Amino acid sequence: MHIPDGFLDPWVCLMMYVITIIFWIFSFRRTKKILEDKHIPLMATLTAMFFAAQMMNFPIIGGTTAHLLGGPIIGITLGPYAGLISMTVILLIQALFFGDGGLTTFGANVWNMGIIGVFIPYIICLAIVRIGKNTKSLLIGAFLGALIGDVLAAIFAGIELGVSILSFPYSIQIAVTAMATHHFFIGIGEGIITMIILSILIKNRPDLLELPKATPYWLGEFPKFLTSKSGEK
Amino acid sequence: MKYGKLTVVGIIISIIFVIIGCIWLSLSVETLDEIAENFGAKENSIWNPPIPDYELPGFEGNVLINTIIGIIFTILTFIAAYGIGNLLKSKRVK
Repeated sequence: MHIPDGFLDPWVCLMMYVITIIFWIFSFRRTKKILEDKHIPLMATLTAMFFAAQMMNFPIIGGTTAHLLGGPIIGITLGPYAGLISMTVILLIQALFFGDGGLTTFGANVWNMGIIGVFIPYIICLAIVRIGKNTKSLLIGAFLGALIGDVLAAIFAGIELGVSILSFPYSIQIAVTAMATHHFFIGIGEGIITMIILSILIKNRPDLLELPKATPYWLGEFPKFLTSKSGEK
Repeated sequence: MKYGKLTVVGIIISIIFVIIGCIWLSLSVETLDEIAENFGAKENSIWNPPIPDYELPGFEGNVLINTIIGIIFTILTFIAAYGIGNLLKSKRVK
């Protein structure tokens, strides 16, 4: 899903940079108020883990491959603003050192994978957990959030490419359909992986899932029910 | 040391991901690249990355070198995220 240089029209690159910079500003401001010592090893570990996970290319359909994004689990664990910072680190290293994603398209790639791919899973998971307030709802929310987040990120990538009529010679419909269809399959994989990691954390370190999360104020608090049942480990 | 153990386990899992990614799941044919190729769109890079496509120039296809690069950059990513986290925390308004 990493869009290289040359695939987006300049106005699309500029617009995506502006939107992404606004999110970065909010993200750094809010994260500064939330981040504590205990968040940092978890944030660094998850960032490294999903940098590595993105090196695994799984065969999907039509002879193509796709990789996990990692945004859902980082967002649900640390909050979407901290998740955006983690994903920005991953995407910047990939673009600068490996040419995986362009520099002119960096704003668009951060929007797709670091904002849509993190905020949407978090918001969906939050909504479902507020209804269920139990472990099952957390896992279902994480799965659906990851699946929908991945597909929406792909749809946004398709829209950005589709409106770039000077750089990319095919319609929004073709771009969106192809991207969304293929990323539906990786979204299922992302959902399953997210559920597995959450299950491991729920069993062994539920306290990590109930650390204060860097989220927009308007989203409110993430319900806490894990450590209150089992006692903080 | 409860966070130390978590970090060690996380780094080990990351290294396993890199090894799997370099040995068995290294072939990358992204949907986007496939469509672009079919429609004749061309990448127009403004930056020459030092390790294009995760392969050191001159050592393309060398699984060992690719794995070592993957592990080094996984650790660098960890350090970068840790550093940014520390920077944000130290400036936190108490």
